[in-house]
Amino acid sequence: MFLTRSEYDRGVNTFSPEGRLFQVEYAIEAIKLGSTAVGIQTADGVVIAVEKRLSSPLLVPTSVEKIMQIDSHIGCAMSGLTADARTLIDHARVQTLHHRFVYDEPMTPRACTQALCDLALRFGEDGKDEDAMSRPFGVALLVAGVDHTGPNLYHTDPSGTYVKWKAKAIGAGSEGAQTALQESYSSNMSMQEAETLALRTLKQVMEEKLDGTNVEIAAIRKEKGEFRIYSQEELKECITRL
Amino acid sequence: MSVLRPNASVMGLPYTAPGNAPRGFTLGEHVDPEDPLEVGNSSNPHGKPRAIGPMGRRFQPYKNNGGTVVAVSGKDYSVIASDTRLGSGYSVPSRNVSRIIKLTDKCVLASSGMQSDIAVLHKVLRIRLTQYQYAHHQEMSLTAISQMLSTMLYYRRFQPYYTFNVLGGIDAEGHGWSYSYDAIGSHEKVRAVCSGTGQNLLQPILDNQVEFRQTAPEKKPEELSLEPCVELVKDAFTSAGERDIYTGDIVELAKVTAKGVEIEKFELRSD
Amino acid sequence: MRNFDFLDAEYAISGTRSDEARVSPDAIDLGLSNSLVVPQVDRPSSFLRDAFANVPEKDRIRFAHGTTTLAFSFKGGIIVAVDSRASMGQYIGSGTVKKIIEINPYLLGTMAGGAADCSFWERDLGRRCKLYELRNKERISVAAASKLLANTVYYYKGMGLSMGTMICGWDKTGPSIFYVDSDGTRLKGKMFSVGSGSTFAYGVLDQGYSYDMSDEEAITLGQKSIYHATHRDAASGGVINLYHVKEDGWVKISSEDMMVQHRARMAQIKAENETSAAVVAEPAAA
Repeated sequence: MFLTRSEYDRGVNTFSPEGRLFQVEYAIEAIKLGSTAVGIQTADGVVIAVEKRLSSPLLVPTSVEKIMQIDSHIGCAMSGLTADARTLIDHARVQTLHHRFVYDEPMTPRACTQALCDLALRFGEDGKDEDAMSRPFGVALLVAGVDHTGPNLYHTDPSGTYVKWKAKAIGAGSEGAQTALQESYSSNMSMQEAETLALRTLKQVMEEKLDGTNVEIAAIRKEKGEFRIYSQEELKECITRL
Repeated sequence: MSVLRPNASVMGLPYTAPGNAPRGFTLGEHVDPEDPLEVGNSSNPHGKPRAIGPMGRRFQPYKNNGGTVVAVSGKDYSVIASDTRLGSGYSVPSRNVSRIIKLTDKCVLASSGMQSDIAVLHKVLRIRLTQYQYAHHQEMSLTAISQMLSTMLYYRRFQPYYTFNVLGGIDAEGHGWSYSYDAIGSHEKVRAVCSGTGQNLLQPILDNQVEFRQTAPEKKPEELSLEPCVELVKDAFTSAGERDIYTGDIVELAKVTAKGVEIEKFELRSD
Repeated sequence: MRNFDFLDAEYAISGTRSDEARVSPDAIDLGLSNSLVVPQVDRPSSFLRDAFANVPEKDRIRFAHGTTTLAFSFKGGIIVAVDSRASMGQYIGSGTVKKIIEINPYLLGTMAGGAADCSFWERDLGRRCKLYELRNKERISVAAASKLLANTVYYYKGMGLSMGTMICGWDKTGPSIFYVDSDGTRLKGKMFSVGSGSTFAYGVLDQGYSYDMSDEEAITLGQKSIYHATHRDAASGGVINLYHVKEDGWVKISSEDMMVQHRARMAQIKAENETSAAVVAEPAAA
């Protein structure tokens, strides 16, 4: 796509003659620089796991946050510009809480993802919408949650598109990881198998050696309906199963 | 949104109306010499002139058009009823104004109070239900509707809908429930409730015959099933029609069961 | 306009806004949006008062009022007890109101004044506490939660809100009770009672209170205080609901019709009278 680079790639409000919005496409490229994240949906729940890039041994691993909770029954993993993700996630938190407030029921993961995408698309250069960003968000999210239909896994990207997946990888190692998921995914796998597959997939594509500090894993189970990031001990236990 | 900014003089600050802003009405005819917001008082040189109406009358946006609404619910049904008389002062301008609205196949709302506010409330509710359907790809549940109505009413806390609502329907588990509301959204989930001008006449009947209040436990009869409940509601309305000048003419009665909503009508006195 | 925008400043971090839908001003006026509508008049704060100035009493919009609520802390935590009557003028609007609002598993709020004002703003407080938790990864303190509520109602001061509440909970500092009302008052204390029946409840509470009492004694004191208030205050009555706030959150202890307490007390008085009558009668007979 860089071959077609032209004067049409500088504004977010101009299509190229071929009908492309280059700034949005470049934003999607930004995710390919991000750390890898994978999500796997099973019949009993959803597992999401991310790689943390620890660029220096002096860096404190726990301060790198790549999985965040949105509501008690929804959480997400991110890849790309994580600062952008924080804005998006805070928006989603307000929206899900507002939904509970007005309707006395949890928001469905789908509606939550839609709310995220509504904000993702609100960019522009005119500055009339004070809250909107002037550029697209440079981040992709894997949104995991449960509703009355069961577990759900959604993927969103900077274009504001969202799609439901059974298993999805995003970030720098996504191509290799997606292939690995496709080979090993089965719709009747258990949550434990999903945990293992998620970590094994990350292990394959990570440059550094996978250990208890440079990955993060979280899950939501249908019967509990509570999204939870694993503790250090739980994570280590998953790693020993690899 | 600036159009809707309230008069900033409320906070004691000068107010400059946007050019296209609607002019506010004034709610008081007396001029308080101490009031810094009053025009002509030196402390408020920027004060906005009060728009007292041509007859120097107060702005009175509310009146009660009467009517009685009832919701009684049992194990697997809900009965919601309202008369259709529209009263105004001592006149009866109409005898056939519906106060009942079917919101979903499992939920019916009845509202008494001021006809115009009821009409707007029902219209806005319809819109909200449709919006929800599009956004969430499912029909609103009874509990979701009951909470949404409460918040909708409270969002008008400072300029309430002059409506007294009762909501009835069947929840996700198939149980019937009634909800009673005050004008600004305080609500409670109950078995039987009545609102409107016949409230004082009807609620005691429901307390006694549906909820068996203060009945000794061993004397409590079995819970009403649908048909006896419908008969009870009819009797109750007939009684209210005898003694409340704003209740009469026709009663619309909605029966909500797992099969859906069925509406029937019956006559009351028309005097 | 006065709406939730001022709350959004806290909800949102820079660059985001939390209002749900972008709608036209016309739609807002109809109540389609999710924000508080303010009447388009010169002085919205006095709109309701003025609009009903010449309206006969029976046609005024009456909001549910009248109450006895109390909360006190002691060795074993906090006892919160309330009645359940909502009166609208002379009419008992409901005898089964839940006046203890479960804000979240470790915070309780009580309800006195306008029922809608209390339940709406304490529900709102609940979501803001949850948002605090998500953002800060720890529970909000009772002090901070009560201040959120106090600041909110202070914003609407003079607009006619009516709320007298006690925010009760257990945080890192231990159990605490904050009294918050619609004037903007916010007080920390060991014992409060709010509502038309509060004077009666205070009388019983003061006379029976000791910091070192057991859980059972505290529960009985709470129930008795509300019972005596329902007995003497016409605007209080119904069921006595009682909660106990402990270190790991609140538990609902009882929900009992005041008539149960009343019958027990009457029986006790009768028994006492009979014994003393017997004591007096005996020497006379001798």
